[in-house]
Amino acid sequence: MTSPVFWIGVLTLALIYGSLAMVLNVESGWGGMWDLGTAGLLASGAYFYAIVTIDDPGLGTTFVPGWPMWLAWPAAALFTGVVAFVIAIPALRLRREYFLITTLAFAEIIRHLIVIQSDLTRGTTGIANIGRPLDGMVSGRNYNYVLFAIVAFATVIVYLITRRLGTSPYGRTLRAARDNEALALALGKRVNRMRLLTFVTAGVIIGAIAPLYLFFIRAISPSLFAPGFTFTVWTALIIGGMGSIRGGVAGAVVLIVFTEAVGLIELDPSRINILIAIEPFMVGLFLILVLRFRPEGLFTERKAFGVPRAKVDSSAAPTATADSLS
Amino acid sequence: MELVLDSVSKTFGGIVAVDNVSASMPHDKITALIGPNGAGKTTLFNTITGFDPPDRGSITFDGKQINGLAPWRVAELGLIRTFQTPVGFTTLTVWESMLCAATPHAVETPIQALIGRKGRASEREAETRAAGIVEELGLTELVDLRTDELSSGDRKLLEFARQLMAEPRLLLLDEPAAAVAPTNIGRLSQLIRRLRDERGLGSLIIDHNLSFLMEIADAVYVLDHGRVIAFGPPDEIAADPEVKRIYLGEQEGDQT
Repeated sequence: MTSPVFWIGVLTLALIYGSLAMVLNVESGWGGMWDLGTAGLLASGAYFYAIVTIDDPGLGTTFVPGWPMWLAWPAAALFTGVVAFVIAIPALRLRREYFLITTLAFAEIIRHLIVIQSDLTRGTTGIANIGRPLDGMVSGRNYNYVLFAIVAFATVIVYLITRRLGTSPYGRTLRAARDNEALALALGKRVNRMRLLTFVTAGVIIGAIAPLYLFFIRAISPSLFAPGFTFTVWTALIIGGMGSIRGGVAGAVVLIVFTEAVGLIELDPSRINILIAIEPFMVGLFLILVLRFRPEGLFTERKAFGVPRAKVDSSAAPTATADSLS
Repeated sequence: MELVLDSVSKTFGGIVAVDNVSASMPHDKITALIGPNGAGKTTLFNTITGFDPPDRGSITFDGKQINGLAPWRVAELGLIRTFQTPVGFTTLTVWESMLCAATPHAVETPIQALIGRKGRASEREAETRAAGIVEELGLTELVDLRTDELSSGDRKLLEFARQLMAEPRLLLLDEPAAAVAPTNIGRLSQLIRRLRDERGLGSLIIDHNLSFLMEIADAVYVLDHGRVIAFGPPDEIAADPEVKRIYLGEQEGDQT
């Protein structure tokens, strides 16, 4: 039941969610843009990749571009960046819950467009047998290890990129504008332009992650990109710690592994209905417990950017000094 | 170089918050803006700094028209304002806030952030300047604290320090003496005066503490119901019967 290959698959999925959660953290954790459109952007990148790499006229789609992987992959990233730009233009006029609901609406529009444009996307049937890197060179089940290595490598790259963004002056300004937009403006920061660029950058990275998700699931259909997908990424980020640097990936591993483990509980077959009903309940309980004991998540923004408390305590009392005005 | 307002008006719904205000504030002088609550002082700040663009009239700084410009563009020209309540960048440390306020002219793009080297020249330059300002204002001990961990007086100081990082050519201070302990107001006056005398950096100041303002101001504008009702040197304003009636008279009325 619990073969290593199974767990390698679980970890691969967890790292994909983790990469997306780290990207979400740049937008939402540091940028304060509560984006509920991750699934829509991922769908854009995944479908773009799937469609341009179709090389079998037998599928009955309008186009049979047959692009090679090296061209389709970066093109998918750029295309997703363009989609993000189109979403950002109206959405960034709004804040907080209004931004959230608008990005969610766009994600749903994208999903329904995919269903409707069946000449291009094969609608609800979806596209199967998507080509994978190094496929055929490694046989059968061992491919899971290859894919895990590829995804792990990509996760490290996403981690390094997001860490660099977060610790740069740009990342600092992003957090500053999240804390106090009016003050950032009064200091000459082009807050809207910065947020637009952030949203588009996030889109490009999500588009680059999308083919990995395709390699993992092999066949796509619109139902994969329902809002539940985005909520899972959000849950992972919240468990891991919004605003931290590595929280997204840590939260995703904890959440996905726990969810899969619950599914493995052995029960009498006649009680399988109970298990199915109880699974989301267990995940919910787990989430509550994590947040009860670590309300800021497994990792925290304070730790990621602040200075060790000990150092502060030894140097100065935290209240006004004799020199200050109060 | 001066900030010039020419017949500026701002209306909210049916209420005229700023009514045909004309004024000129030299960049190297301390100008006070006084008036009872609701006189339109903060609204005037908002219209100058682009947060609430005026409905009519023109605002120029250094001969350049600034009404209609976005707030960040006004700030880029060197008009750096503070806010009545010094909330600050709540989760940033004092040091991060200082660095963030630097180089208002170049907000990095994500691409620049990715290819930029650690400890790049612009960042090093900002650190040097921040260290100087922090030292000058006596904030050195507090640099590692988060803004929301500071006392309100220290937050006020940080606000001052941060706005100085943004390379202002004229400061717009909204109630700098509020929440400052009376015994330390002298230090504040000294600081504002020193900026004017040593760096030629003037201020436009709103405050309710009249003795503090009258002591440091080179010129005073009195605002009432959105209109300028008096203008002149502090001693002249203090003696103006109209000002006494409207401004000070109301204060007496409040107390009874």
